[in-house]
Amino acid sequence: MTTIAFPTLISRPTSYTGLWSWIGTVDHKRIGTLYGVTAFLYFLIGGIEALIIRGQLNTAENDLVSPEIYNQLFTMHGTTMVFMVVMPMSAAFFNWMIPLMIGARDVAFPRLNGFSYWAFLFGSIFLNLSFVLGGAPDAGWFGYANLTGNTYSPGDGVTFWALGLTILGVASLAASFNFVVTILNMRAPGMGLMKMPVFVWMALVTNVLMALAMPVIAVALIQLGLDRVLGTNFFNPVAGGDPVLWQHLFWLFGHPEVYILILPAMGIVSETLPVFSKKPLFGYPAIVLAGAVIGFMGWFVWSHHMFTVGLGPAANSAFTISTMLIAVPTGVKIFNWMGTVWGGKLHLNTSMLFSLGFIAMFVIGGLSGVTHASPPTDAQQQDTYYIVAHFHYVLFGGSILGLFAGGYYWWPKMTGKRLGETIGKWHFWTMLIGFNLTFGPMHWLGLNGMPRRISTYAEGMGWETSNAIATVGAMLIAVGVLIFIINVIRTMSSKQKAEDDPWDGRTLEWSIPSPPPAYNFARIPQVKSVDDFWYTKHPELLHDERGEQTESAAPVEEDTHGGGSIHLPSMSYYPFVVAIGMSIGIVGFMDIRADIPSTDLQLPWLSVVGIVVGMWGLLGWIFEPVTAEGGH
Amino acid sequence: MAQAATVQEQHGHIADTNTGISNRKLLMWVFLASDCLFFGSFIATYLVYRNESIVGPYPNEVLDIPITSVSTFVLLMSSLAMVLALNYAQKDQLGLTRFWILAVAVLGAIFLGFQVFEFATFVNEGLTIRSNLFGTTFFILTGFHGLHVLIGVLWLLGTAFAHFKGALTSRSVEDLEMAGLYWHFVDIVWIIIFTVIYLIGFSDGEGLETIEHAATIIGG
Amino acid sequence: MNLRRLLRPLRSRFLLLIPIVPALLVACNKEDAQSTFGTSGPIADTQASLFIFIFWIAVVVFVLVEGALIYSILKFRRRESSDDSLPAQIHGNNKLEIIWTIIPVFILIAIAIPTIKTIYDHNGPPSDEGPVLEINVRAHQWWWEIDYPGEDVVTSNEIHIPVGQWVNFTMHSDDVIHSFWVPKLAGKLDIIPGDVRQLAMKADEAGFFFGQCAEFCGEAHAKMRFRVKAEEPEEFQNWLDSMRRPPVELVSDDAMAGQTLFAANCSSCHATNTWQAPAARNERTRLAGLRTAFIGNIEESAVIPAPNLTHFATRATLGAGLIELNSENLIKWIADPDDVKEGNRMKDLAAPYRNNSLSSDDVRQLSAYLLELKPVAADAVMEPASGGATGGTAEERGETVFTGSSGCSGCHSTGSDALVGPGLADLSSRSSDAEIHQSITDPSAVVVKDFPDSVMPQIFGSTLSSDELNDLIAYLKSL
Repeated sequence: MTTIAFPTLISRPTSYTGLWSWIGTVDHKRIGTLYGVTAFLYFLIGGIEALIIRGQLNTAENDLVSPEIYNQLFTMHGTTMVFMVVMPMSAAFFNWMIPLMIGARDVAFPRLNGFSYWAFLFGSIFLNLSFVLGGAPDAGWFGYANLTGNTYSPGDGVTFWALGLTILGVASLAASFNFVVTILNMRAPGMGLMKMPVFVWMALVTNVLMALAMPVIAVALIQLGLDRVLGTNFFNPVAGGDPVLWQHLFWLFGHPEVYILILPAMGIVSETLPVFSKKPLFGYPAIVLAGAVIGFMGWFVWSHHMFTVGLGPAANSAFTISTMLIAVPTGVKIFNWMGTVWGGKLHLNTSMLFSLGFIAMFVIGGLSGVTHASPPTDAQQQDTYYIVAHFHYVLFGGSILGLFAGGYYWWPKMTGKRLGETIGKWHFWTMLIGFNLTFGPMHWLGLNGMPRRISTYAEGMGWETSNAIATVGAMLIAVGVLIFIINVIRTMSSKQKAEDDPWDGRTLEWSIPSPPPAYNFARIPQVKSVDDFWYTKHPELLHDERGEQTESAAPVEEDTHGGGSIHLPSMSYYPFVVAIGMSIGIVGFMDIRADIPSTDLQLPWLSVVGIVVGMWGLLGWIFEPVTAEGGH
Repeated sequence: MAQAATVQEQHGHIADTNTGISNRKLLMWVFLASDCLFFGSFIATYLVYRNESIVGPYPNEVLDIPITSVSTFVLLMSSLAMVLALNYAQKDQLGLTRFWILAVAVLGAIFLGFQVFEFATFVNEGLTIRSNLFGTTFFILTGFHGLHVLIGVLWLLGTAFAHFKGALTSRSVEDLEMAGLYWHFVDIVWIIIFTVIYLIGFSDGEGLETIEHAATIIGG
Repeated sequence: MNLRRLLRPLRSRFLLLIPIVPALLVACNKEDAQSTFGTSGPIADTQASLFIFIFWIAVVVFVLVEGALIYSILKFRRRESSDDSLPAQIHGNNKLEIIWTIIPVFILIAIAIPTIKTIYDHNGPPSDEGPVLEINVRAHQWWWEIDYPGEDVVTSNEIHIPVGQWVNFTMHSDDVIHSFWVPKLAGKLDIIPGDVRQLAMKADEAGFFFGQCAEFCGEAHAKMRFRVKAEEPEEFQNWLDSMRRPPVELVSDDAMAGQTLFAANCSSCHATNTWQAPAARNERTRLAGLRTAFIGNIEESAVIPAPNLTHFATRATLGAGLIELNSENLIKWIADPDDVKEGNRMKDLAAPYRNNSLSSDDVRQLSAYLLELKPVAADAVMEPASGGATGGTAEERGETVFTGSSGCSGCHSTGSDALVGPGLADLSSRSSDAEIHQSITDPSAVVVKDFPDSVMPQIFGSTLSSDELNDLIAYLKSL
């Protein structure tokens, strides 16, 4: 192939250590690590925001923070936990584990993968800079129009929010395209779709949901951003705009988003439960089908977030039925997990405890969800602490506990060391008890009439005790997180190495060294069944259970020269450059303010700079060969 | 699809993937699926706000259906040119391929010219993105479509000049196939937009609906 | 080692114990002001009983699922850490899959049927339970405007309703989305700007019910509260009548001084005169005009719709259902509204706070005046309601308009000082009668240099009668 020579302004990174090697990395494992570390730092930031919120609500008429600051805190807490913690932490596991579990050497588009991470990093930093640059967004993570308009949110906070989330949206979209293609196209020979690990299945559903849901929120954010910077009328009631349109767009994205947040954790426990029960996953096809059905039906329930908007009895009835229906596949998953545990030989280590905790807490969140799937009862519960309790049982009790289960499970694979078990159990119990102390009483607070998002409350409403308990619980959660950090530090400074397959695992990632070499698999495995690695270790079981042939699943000789000359994509700075250019391009719209009449369509100079940088990076990217000559 | 497979075989390269579709082309399909939701949301917004403007200029006062029909025809013809370009690429006829690619790009550019002209006319007649809901939804929806066309034109020009210096390779044919997928998609989206904005009837803003709406705003 | 093994099942049981604690709490505290269980009306009653129905179903499922989970953890846990044997390898069971798909469907149908029935039952007041009282609600950042259509009664933040009669609230919002919620009477309904919402409810017993905005609406969202006072029908009718009677004569000197201060500083936003039917009918237009003036110039605006204060002293609370209305609280409120309700607009916009010109004497006098704002007794002799503008020369009557309820003096000095608007001394040398008339009725037509457009409300063309306008112009020319 002939290409024109593109002037190379920056040469490729060559060293595999040091800062530049991280900036130029295209290795899915390194990018996964970057995602994980960044997401954990944001988990701490979002947690500190939560602690201040709990401090403020500890007693009635408290004035620890002003309403102004309080509104910024709960807005950023929600935004951070959803977009900068659970989603990127899931992306960390996707990055690390999808190629390893499907027997691939990298993702389909390694440089696009780097771009996703850098765009996520710049977008999230930009969003958090708002705290020091004139005030963070303060209109809620749901950003309901028209409170977000210039009239009622005159500061720059909401513009930070709209633009920052747009950058994060681009990052998520790029990542989701990449993973969908990777999963569909790059599975090891023999690994049909119904032989994929359930985690990969849930990753596929999650990423399809992201690819389809992120454009919807992107459109809503673009409309909001244009309203704010160019003075369009999308959500301006004075010009006839309908604020409810925002809610439809937001929740049309927002409900699939809920599944984007929970399905990865469901995938993780679908891996850990069989491994630590020493049994195959109960009803693999049912769990896969239920996950796909949830992903599909998640598109038809969005208006249950809007039961009190006044859409009319017909709409409310339709959405109550679809909402209740989606409980069925969710129940199927839970029952199948219990079927997996039933009759097993449970190794109750930390990862397993988190997995079981996930089921226990998720059941509570699911059941409280059914109680307000009914619009008449939701009329009393919507926008109260009952809802706060419900979705924390789903997203903390579900997603976060599930992600910790995955962390303890895959830590030895990722780092070559095992996290401490005793201290891990302390971590689990502190967190579980703290979690229930925090969010359990909130059910009662909501039923007792305490609305959400109030910066303070009057004395004598009967809310003091429950709020005080919740604050104690939140501090206990913080202790749990501290214990985890100590565990990590102790583990990483210890010299003790983990085995390649410490849990007697079932899936391909356990068949390679810990931590894996850059090329992952010296030989691409040939897959014959679900849990192929397990049956390689226990060929007699395959025969016993399925009556299939017992020949062991020998790896295919793919590269006779061994790992040494496997061609891997070379490092590149261009993803970083494009991400920075795109972020600056979007941030540049901060220059324009629609509510200042004199700035009638001024050119956003910063955007021009960003576009130039981005285009240069893009051209460099296009004309740079994926693999450098002579490199590997 | 069948054609594409033949070409790949001709050039001795069969995509080494589970689906048989190369990674890059599958990426394009996923992107287009995603882009459907993007345009779908903007089109839905346009439909929700159809006939809801409180003040003019209203669509019937500014829209010029004959002129836009011409530009729509131009864009449709560009899709035909795209089909021809791909056809000659698959027959390994470099000169004709390049000619038809340039034809696509030129037709696309003409469409953009019509759009610039239309925008300028509207602004002269007092319709801007700030005027009313029609102005807001019209400019942003057609503007994002125009941006897609612009990217397509640049992409095709780049393909024509940069990739085909020597001979057609299986990779550059695949590049062209991807550009073709994108171009046809953008074309189809325009047909939907044209139908929604220009062909479905619109009121002059004096309908009962609008007056009632205005009344609730002002104080009913 | 033995101890740990003993403790292990105990620790596992925590899984079950902890979430039950809040569940136990549900049984108590119905007396709390916003409890959704201690209900006092048919809508909230049905909502609560539907919740309890679903709740018990959920409890049964909860106990079964969590019980089975804990049982299997205890029963199937590995007992020896060296035990590496494998249990029976079971891949699934299709019969079970079908069972646990079907059973939840039936449970959910059992929930869906009463749910959908209730949705339709609650769609408006029943047609066979007597006449329905209509009440208009307008939500503002961060207070509630209330009027009784056809009754010429306007008030704010405290809603009086009769016991035993269905009430239909017709709700609008001028600014952002709010949500109207009185937990003991009915679940909430959002109020969408540019749209209208209807919410019907009935109180079965007399009481003072707490309400609160439930949709996040900005800085002071937490303090956008209100009260619903359900009274016996006769008592309710007395209240409606009293709201249409003139106020009592002021007694204290402080109150009289306060009246002057109020006219000069507060009356361009707050009305106290809607006991007069024309003023009551005009109140909506007046507030809408203030809204337009505010939106037109957010940075500089000195006006915004503000709570109606007619017969203010008859209310029980202050600051949108926030605190008890008494002299001490009122003085605290007027002295520094931000201290009581951070974010409220009075502190930002009203000239006395901007200029820092409110002395503690002023505050005391204003408070005294407001606490004397109550209707005369029902048997008092009714004076013809003419606002005292009948006697004197045109200039004198015009001065009453200027300093009185129309609120000109809130923004304009009669000297050359610029307050919010320009000083008006020597006006006759600058402007003709027609120009002054235009500047009052259509302030945007000509805007004085250095003063922003849209600050002055576009409302005086409709709020002032032509006589009042003529008197006012005569007065202004005399300056």
